[in-house]
Amino acid sequence: MQQFKTLKDLPEQDYFTGGSSACAGCGPSMGLKLALKVLGPETIIVNASGCMTLLPLYPNTPLKASWIHNAIENASSTAAGARHGLDMLGNKDMNVVVYAGDGATYDIGLASLSAVAAKNERIIYICYNNQSFGNTGFQWSTATPYGSETKTTPRGKNNPTGTTAVNKDMVKIMGAHRVYAATASLAYPVDFLNKLSRAKERDGFSYIELLGACTAGWNYDPRLTIRISKLAVRCGMWPMYEIENGILTLNKDFSELKPIDEFLKLQGRYRALPQDGVDRLQVLINEHWAELKEYNGQRYV
Amino acid sequence: MKQTLVTGNEAAAWGARLVRPNYIPTFPITPQTECIETLARWSADGELPGTYFDRMESEHSVMSAAVGAAAVGARVFTASSSQGLLLMHEVLYIAAGMRLPIVMATISRGLSAPVTLWSDHNDFLDQRDSGWLMFHAENNQEVLDMMLQAYRIAEDPRVLLPAMVNMDGYVLSFTDEPITIPSPEMVEEFLPEYNPDHTIAKGRPVTVGPPVLDEYTIFRAQNHVAARNALEVMEEVMDDFDRIFDRRYHLVDEFMLDDAELVLVTQGSMSTTAKAAIMEMREEEGIKVGLLRLRVIRPWPAKAIAEALKGAKAVAVIDRNLAPGRGGIMFPEIVETLYHLDRRPLVSSFVVGLGGNPQTEHKVKEITRKLIDDLETGRPRVEWNDL
Repeated sequence: MQQFKTLKDLPEQDYFTGGSSACAGCGPSMGLKLALKVLGPETIIVNASGCMTLLPLYPNTPLKASWIHNAIENASSTAAGARHGLDMLGNKDMNVVVYAGDGATYDIGLASLSAVAAKNERIIYICYNNQSFGNTGFQWSTATPYGSETKTTPRGKNNPTGTTAVNKDMVKIMGAHRVYAATASLAYPVDFLNKLSRAKERDGFSYIELLGACTAGWNYDPRLTIRISKLAVRCGMWPMYEIENGILTLNKDFSELKPIDEFLKLQGRYRALPQDGVDRLQVLINEHWAELKEYNGQRYV
Repeated sequence: MKQTLVTGNEAAAWGARLVRPNYIPTFPITPQTECIETLARWSADGELPGTYFDRMESEHSVMSAAVGAAAVGARVFTASSSQGLLLMHEVLYIAAGMRLPIVMATISRGLSAPVTLWSDHNDFLDQRDSGWLMFHAENNQEVLDMMLQAYRIAEDPRVLLPAMVNMDGYVLSFTDEPITIPSPEMVEEFLPEYNPDHTIAKGRPVTVGPPVLDEYTIFRAQNHVAARNALEVMEEVMDDFDRIFDRRYHLVDEFMLDDAELVLVTQGSMSTTAKAAIMEMREEEGIKVGLLRLRVIRPWPAKAIAEALKGAKAVAVIDRNLAPGRGGIMFPEIVETLYHLDRRPLVSSFVVGLGGNPQTEHKVKEITRKLIDDLETGRPRVEWNDL
């Protein structure tokens, strides 16, 4: 298994080259660029409709690997078909990797993802979570955190909170499928690539959820993508952990979380969240963090 | 080669077995389930070497997985029916647009609401603009034969489009009929290995399904050209099928049309009943009636249909389907096809047999008599025969 210790170990070769149509500072694009360093050119990226669907635009593509875009809700099933097609034709050594947003993962594609994970198909599923339906202009998904404003959960006289639902605990749900499930952050690329490297060697399904900071939707300065990705981890909004065979391992432990306000204040989507909303979000984060600390090293699901 | 009694579902399963697919994604739905259960059993018994039998959580995922496998160059089979076929609808267009020659057996069942398990053709005909090649069988032998032909036509480089082979639920799917199952060697001679050069392969990275800008029209036009090409390819394939298997098929099925003044236009299993009624009417009453069965629905074999109907005085289009607010779905297609003839027959429309309402010889005779009346009054009718 390929192991990386520092940033200097990252492969120089790039399979995501120039000509991408993504925003400056786009987190999900950075994630795919990093992932392809480990996955290499004999990889089929199965994409669910979303921002990343616009990376290739006929007749151009910034990618030096294969790509299938089917629709939004069926990337997992498409990947399963590609996996078995390759296996039956004697191409077992090619990688099949889903790269799908949170709307396509948590919401419309959940049934197909769950079935393919339950069957433990040899697929790596990377969910780039920008906490919204991003490509349509930032609408609510079940990955949107409490208190975030979106275009379909706008703040108003009758609802100062914006998003009142609490986001789904997707990593736990995937962990309960008895597959490898992990979170990752662009602020910790070595950790992300090691997790991918591990997933690549597994004879079964792996789920990696990468926080895909979204400069347009979250409404922040594109220079801040990595800082925000780091603050998300330090503030407990995006804890770094993995679940394998139901056992939880916390990858980044802190004696104390930074207050969530440090993460919120850099982003327009939280700008007008009233203090009681911030307090409530802090409680939710503390509860989740305490749960992870309690089960660290033990059976979690 | 062997003679045996099989249901329509089993005939489709035999077709799938003989074409040696790499991948079969499945989901159960009445009345299709027996087809995939047969394949599951064969797979478990090691009788489908080279095939991975898969089980998905929905028909939408079945067609999505079929697309994934076909995109890497696999030969794919699946089957569906009714609500399941409608759930696939979105991905059917995608499969056709990607030019992936997936073949699917469809087993017609009426659509909800209200729920019916019995057959009519709304599920199948709902897919008629999806870009798939669409065949409709009359009996179980034709189900198997059409499956073999469908792969050969779909995989032809001039075509490269997916194809569905339809049979009527219950009437065929669950009825034993004697059929001839060809030997694997004969099928191998007829249908060689599938070696596409437009799909993903090792050392050949391909982008499948990207967005386009102004080129959209070009891609759509290519789909249309490919579907039109299929008509010519079909005739070649049917000749070759006859050479190897000694069974002759045409773009349309003509029955007693040589001197026919009245013609019934039908689809699917009711054609057999209608043919029996026609023979009786000719023998007992001397009525010059014949039948034209539509066996290729897409692409539309307009020339063959117009040619077959050009001598008729009156035509009854018998639709086992309904477009509410419009009427029978095939009726306007036939009228449009005959519009340019020098001498146009009178064309009446009959909607029959919805939700499995049985189509008896008696009803066929009734329609024929109404057609004689129409010829006398000179006015065509639009009618529901079952109400």
